[in-house]
Formats: sequence, structure tokens, C-alpha cells
Amino acid sequence: MKTSRIPVFKTSLKDSSIAGKIFFYRYFYLMLLPVVIWYFVFSYTPMYGITLAFKSFNYNEGIIGSPWIGFQNFLDMVKDPGFISAFKNTLIISFCKLLIHFPVPIILSILLNEMTRRRLKKVYQTIFTFPHFISWVVMSGIIISILSKDGIVNQIISVFGGDAVSPLVTSSQFRTVIYTTHIWKQMGWDSIIYLAALANINPELLEAASIDGAGRFQKIMHITWPCIRGTAAILLILQIGLMLNIGSGFDQIFNLYNSSVYDVADTIDTFIFRTTFTIGSDFGYMTAVGLVKSVINLLLLITANYTVRKLGEQGIF
Amino acid sequence: MGKIKGLVSSLLLLFILVAIVGCGGNKRATEDGHEQTSNLNEKEGEKSKENPFAEAMELSIAVWDIESSLSDTENDEIYKMITEKFNISIKPLGITWDDYAQKIQMWAASNQLPDIFSIDAVGSQYYRKWVTQGIVKALPEDLSKYPYLKEYLNTDDIMGLKENGKLFAIPRKTWESLKYNSLDRVIAYRWDWAKAAGIEKEPETWEEFSALLKAVMEKNPEGTQPVGLTAGNVKLIGGFFWLYSNPAATSDGSGNDFKWIKEDGKFIPAVFSKGALSALNNMKDMNKQGLIDPDIGLIKGDQGYDKFASGKAVAILHAGGFLNSYKKILKERWSKIYPDNQFMDSVKVLKPLKSVDGKRYHPVFKTYWSESYFSGKISEQKMDRILSLYDFLVSKEGRELVWYGIKDADYGKSGETIEIIETEPLYDKYPSLGLFQTLAEWNLTDNYDMNNPAIADPDVRKAGVEYIDWVKQNTVTPEFDIRLTYMSTPTKDKFTVFDHDDLLNVLLSKKSTEEAWEQIIESYKAKGLDKMIEEVNLKAKELGIE
Repeated sequence: MKTSRIPVFKTSLKDSSIAGKIFFYRYFYLMLLPVVIWYFVFSYTPMYGITLAFKSFNYNEGIIGSPWIGFQNFLDMVKDPGFISAFKNTLIISFCKLLIHFPVPIILSILLNEMTRRRLKKVYQTIFTFPHFISWVVMSGIIISILSKDGIVNQIISVFGGDAVSPLVTSSQFRTVIYTTHIWKQMGWDSIIYLAALANINPELLEAASIDGAGRFQKIMHITWPCIRGTAAILLILQIGLMLNIGSGFDQIFNLYNSSVYDVADTIDTFIFRTTFTIGSDFGYMTAVGLVKSVINLLLLITANYTVRKLGEQGIF
Repeated sequence: MGKIKGLVSSLLLLFILVAIVGCGGNKRATEDGHEQTSNLNEKEGEKSKENPFAEAMELSIAVWDIESSLSDTENDEIYKMITEKFNISIKPLGITWDDYAQKIQMWAASNQLPDIFSIDAVGSQYYRKWVTQGIVKALPEDLSKYPYLKEYLNTDDIMGLKENGKLFAIPRKTWESLKYNSLDRVIAYRWDWAKAAGIEKEPETWEEFSALLKAVMEKNPEGTQPVGLTAGNVKLIGGFFWLYSNPAATSDGSGNDFKWIKEDGKFIPAVFSKGALSALNNMKDMNKQGLIDPDIGLIKGDQGYDKFASGKAVAILHAGGFLNSYKKILKERWSKIYPDNQFMDSVKVLKPLKSVDGKRYHPVFKTYWSESYFSGKISEQKMDRILSLYDFLVSKEGRELVWYGIKDADYGKSGETIEIIETEPLYDKYPSLGLFQTLAEWNLTDNYDMNNPAIADPDVRKAGVEYIDWVKQNTVTPEFDIRLTYMSTPTKDKFTVFDHDDLLNVLLSKKSTEEAWEQIIESYKAKGLDKMIEEVNLKAKELGIE
């Protein structure tokens, strides 16, 4: 039977050059290559398109040849009431989604973890996770049916003698629908990582706490939560970094909103889509809008990482 | 083990390289194709002097659902006849009603536009860029070589599209006159229910129509608790409600076609006319009385048609005229729900109601919808071939072929009267008709002719013909100046008016009509409304438009 041979160098690995080290680990580097190429081709190469934010797009010249116009697109942006409204809505919806949604999967995972009947736990977990796999196109159809004049919500309200509601066309109620449906769709899926973290808690800790007379709630507060707090911190940083993307929730809002709620529902993503493809605005202007969003996302990520590290948890960089 | 690792890694690397090379393949093939075409052009230039179509050509075309139209080209006699006549082959590039605007803009941005493509771009910002940056090819100024096409294009609203004396698109003509726009926004209502509710006369005024809706809703004839007026699409509402007092404000929903009227000595977009408020108040009053579907803002897909056909709405505002009354209501829904019910005995189409000034107006859009554009990169020879094809499609011979099929096999002629021989739908026999009937024009005018079987149900066809005859005789076209709609000024080029959005906002707002409308006007002012009006008036004065 043949065995693989480890390459033998004249000098030790510690003393070898970078090239030598790369050669030594060449197969690992080869395995890494697809990932590097993927990032290069799909993430870094298109970045030259960002220059369009400082140009007026010319179809003949393309992205590289289009004329530079400095910060004109950004100046137009701050004067555009549509952008101001979309920017404000994005921040509000993103922040509220994070605030309201973030604790829900943690609570759900702890509650599921406390269930002693395994089969029932699996049933609940499946029920909560299932909506994640339904697209927003289908989901929006369901939500519109539920909330329409003849929908189940209004039927229940009419049984109790209340007035019918139309939250999808009422500015003051629309965002509530966005928050609740986001939780409905995502809480099961988002709780999986916490369930994995909970599975890693040493049972001896819980047994010892029980012997010491700790109740369920005390065990949750003093053992379960501290054990998953690190995971929650990492996820919080990641969520903050993606806050404006999640908040914009293009698929969700695009499929649920209508012109009567633009004032509270139009986010940067829906604004970009509508103004680019319906109105036909300059690609440079839209790139500038997208760039602002990305820069804010980056700043939020750095701030969240810094804050979490200051609070004693491990950051992501 | 090491060898296996090495082998796997090498294979992986090879796969990546192949994938990268493969990704670039399409573009190269296209570029080669262009080179080959241009080489062929040179070589066969001599031949073409004798036979203008001697040189074989491939035309890439992006038209809605073209792929299904060209699904059976081998057995499609009409496809063969047309492609052989012009010595062309067609490369279909699929676009759908959901993605066409995005796809075409992406193709334009990435320099991949097909030779011919369809989109409703007139008046948009990207249309102006396409024209000024040479992305789309202009039609020759002298069109005498294409007499039918020349005649086809010779209407005021098409000629008004010229930029520096050149046309950059062939509009897809839909109607022979603006009067036919009344068919773009029709209201079908339950006449059987109205009679059951004690209504004996077709409504002629807004009050009578409101009374009809109210009476039927209260009577609830089939116990379905119907809503009043629903819509096939919420974007259509302007085409109905503006007719109360501000008919020139009707718009096709593109945001770019807003019309201009003169008020107090100044041109303004009709939407912002003094007459707007009365129309908005009338709409709001109808809503307060519960006569408008509370879910009208949420309607998606064909939900409106479902509601109406299933008896959950008294009336429906829909597009597509009697063709859709037949197809979307009668054929697809009504015949299944009420198999024993005579459709036209139960449903009537509302004739345009009397406006506040006592006249009956019809909505106004354009005589065409959407346009054919030609890539700025195509050669003169190819452009000539394309225009020859279009010339044929709008000629009498071409129209008869694409609308009635092959002479003596599918139809016969007795003098000028067409006699249908083939009773089965022609689309099944010649799928390419889906392309050729709509490539150059929509030509829906001919559907309102008792000899034309496009509206398959004779009762619906008869009602359609009577309706349009009545509209021609009894309605007035709102006054506006189309030249100002097409005029280009720096602010106007970026300005859009989505009146249906504004109407919906007023309709659903908890504020008073005046307050809600004032807020909307302020938002337009923030976008440069006043500046645009100033620019347009200045330019109109320069051009002598009074």
C-alpha cells in the first residue's frame, strides 16, 4: 500500500521563503484558488463600476470612457426629495427591523431548547423555519389576501364589530406589516445558529445548576444566555453590517408596497429600481445612490465591531 | 495520495480556466459574427445591385414572447414565406412583459442591443440619450423607397417625434385616431344586476353611475356582497376619473406622456390644471360612499378580472377594449362560472359620461403604443432590409397575410370583403403570426369590424363595433398640444408625472382632497415643476407655439 510522502526541504519550513512555503502548501493554495478567483471576478473586478458615481454615463463610451462630472451626482442626490425620503425610510425600517427582529430568534431558540418532547420540538422548528423557503412573491400574495377587505384579519375584526383595516395602503400601518412579516418569515431560519450554539452548552453546567436549586428561568439567565452571548454578538455585528440591505429588503417591500405608501415604504433599493427602470434616470446617478448605501453599511459594520469589542466580546476583525 | 491530490487540483484549475474562457465565448462569437456579416456585405455588394435581397441576412429581434412565436418555424408556412421573400433568418431574443424595460436598458448599457427591439421609450430620459448618443439608428429622411411605411408614419403624433428632422423609431400604431383611446379604458358593469336593483336606463352622468353602483351593492343580487368599481390594474384609474373635469390629464402610465394645456395665458401640464380638483373630489366622494373597491391599490395580476367575473365587483375598469372583455372576462372566466348566461345580456360597457361642462370626453393617450428601434450599429444594407420588411408588414398585402393567413387556404376575397375559410385559430397553424402581427404595428382598429374574427364572440364584437361608432359620434377629444409633450428642455427631460400614483394617494389619504392635492403639488414643485413650466413656455414662445 502506497502512502503519501511529505516533501522534504533542505532547510526547515520555518526558515524557508514565502515562495517555499507556498510550494510546501501548494495543494491547499490550489484548493483556495477557486475562491480567490470567484472573489476577484465577481466582487473586486466589478468595483471599477463605482467610478460611474462620479461620471455621467455615456452609452458609447461605456463605464471607463464616460466623462467625469465630479460630485454632481451626489449634489443632485441631496436635492432629490425622492432620495431623501428613501434614505430616511431605509434608516427607519432597517433600524426598527434590527431592533424588533434581532431578539426574536434568540428567544425562539431558547424556548425550543427548553422543550423536552423532541418530536414536538422538531414539528415547531419545521413550522417556524418553513416560511423562509417561500419567496416574497408568493408570500406577498398570501399577505395581501390575509389583509384584504375579505381577508381573515378583517373577518375577525368584523366578528368583534370593529372597522375594517387596510394596513397595506395606510401609511401609518404599513411598516408594522413589514416588521411582522419579516419576523414571520425569518425567525425560524435565524434561530438555527442559536440552536447550534445551545447544543454546545456543557450539560454538566445545567445539571450542576439544577443540583444547586436553580429554576428554569435562572438557568436560562445564568447559563444558557451567557453561553450564546458571543454568537449573538457576532451575528449582531454581521446584521448591523448588512442592516441597510436587510432593511431595504427589496423583495419584501417591492412586492408589498404601492404608491399610496411610498412616503413610508420607499427604500433606497426600491428607489434605485424604480428610477432606473421606470423613469430611466442616469446610471451614474443611481450608482452614486448605491455607493452612499454601501459606504454607510461599511461605517455601521466598523462601528458595531468596535462597540462589541469595547463591551468585551470578540469582534469579527 | 499526493498524486490524487495533484490530479484533483489540476482538474479543478482546468475547470476554472474552461469556465472563464467559456464565459467570454459568447461575446467573441458575436464579434466574429459582425465581422463575418460585414465581410459578406462587401463581397455580395455587387449581387445586391440586381436583387436587393440577394444577400442572406440574419436579423436579431427582441419582441415580447418572440421565442414562442418562432417555436415551429420548420412547419410554419407564413414564416417561410416572409423570410424567403426578404432572404432573412431571424434570431429571437426573448423579452417578457415583466422584464423588457430592464433587459433592453441593460443591453444598451453593455453594447449588446439586437438589430430590432421593442420598448415604449418615447419621452424617457434614456430615449433622449439613445438618440443623442447614436445608440439607435435614424430612419432615412427620404422614405419614398418604402411607400407603405411612409404613409403609415404620416400622422401628426408620429411626425411630432422627429428630432432634428429625423425619426428614430417606428411607433407601433394601435388606433387610426385618438377616439379609439376610449377602448384603452373601458368599464364593464353588471347590467343584469342593475336591472334587478331597479335601474332601467344606462347611466349617462357620474351621478347616475354612482347611483347604479350603490343600488346594486345594496341589493346584493347574488349574495356575494360585491364591491363597486374595481380595476384590472390600478394604473388605469386616471383614464376614468380625470374625465369628470380634467380630461387632458389622462396618461398612459409611462410618466412621460403628460399633456400640456394653456391656462391663464400659460402652458401647464394638464394634471395641474384648475379642473383637477373637481375630478379628485368626485373620485373621493365615490370612495367615501364605498363605491370604489377598498383593495384597488393592492390589485395584482388578473385579480380584478377574477373579482368581476366571480360576482365580487359590480364594475371593472380595464384596458384592452372588447378584446379583453372577451378574452379575460368571457372566455377565461365568465363562461366557466356562468355557462348558461348570455354575457352581453348581463354585462354592458359604460359609455363615456358627461363631464362637468356637459361634454363627453374620451381618454387621450396616443395612436400608438411602444416603438420599434434599430441598433445604431447596423449597416445601411441591413437597415434597408428591415425597412423593406416593415414596409411589407404595413402594406395591404402584408396585413392580409398576417391577419387572415394565406389567401385561398385560410381566407377568400369577394371584392373587398374577406371571407374566412379557416375556422381554427391561425396562431395554432402559424405561430409566427404572434411576431409578424405585432412587429410593425398593433393595428387593433381592424378588430372593430364585423368581418374580423379577432373578437371571437359575435355578440361582444357587435357590442364593440357599436360602442366605438357611438364614441366617434358623441365624444369630444380633449384639447392639448402634442408638440409640448415631446418638447425637450433640461428640466422636462428628467420630469415624470405618475398621475395614477397621485390619484391613488388622494383616494386613500385620510386628509381632505384639497390638502392631499396641495401636498402632491408641493412635491412636484420640489422636483422642479415651476422651472419646467418656465422652460417649456420660453421654448414654446421661441418656436411660435401659441
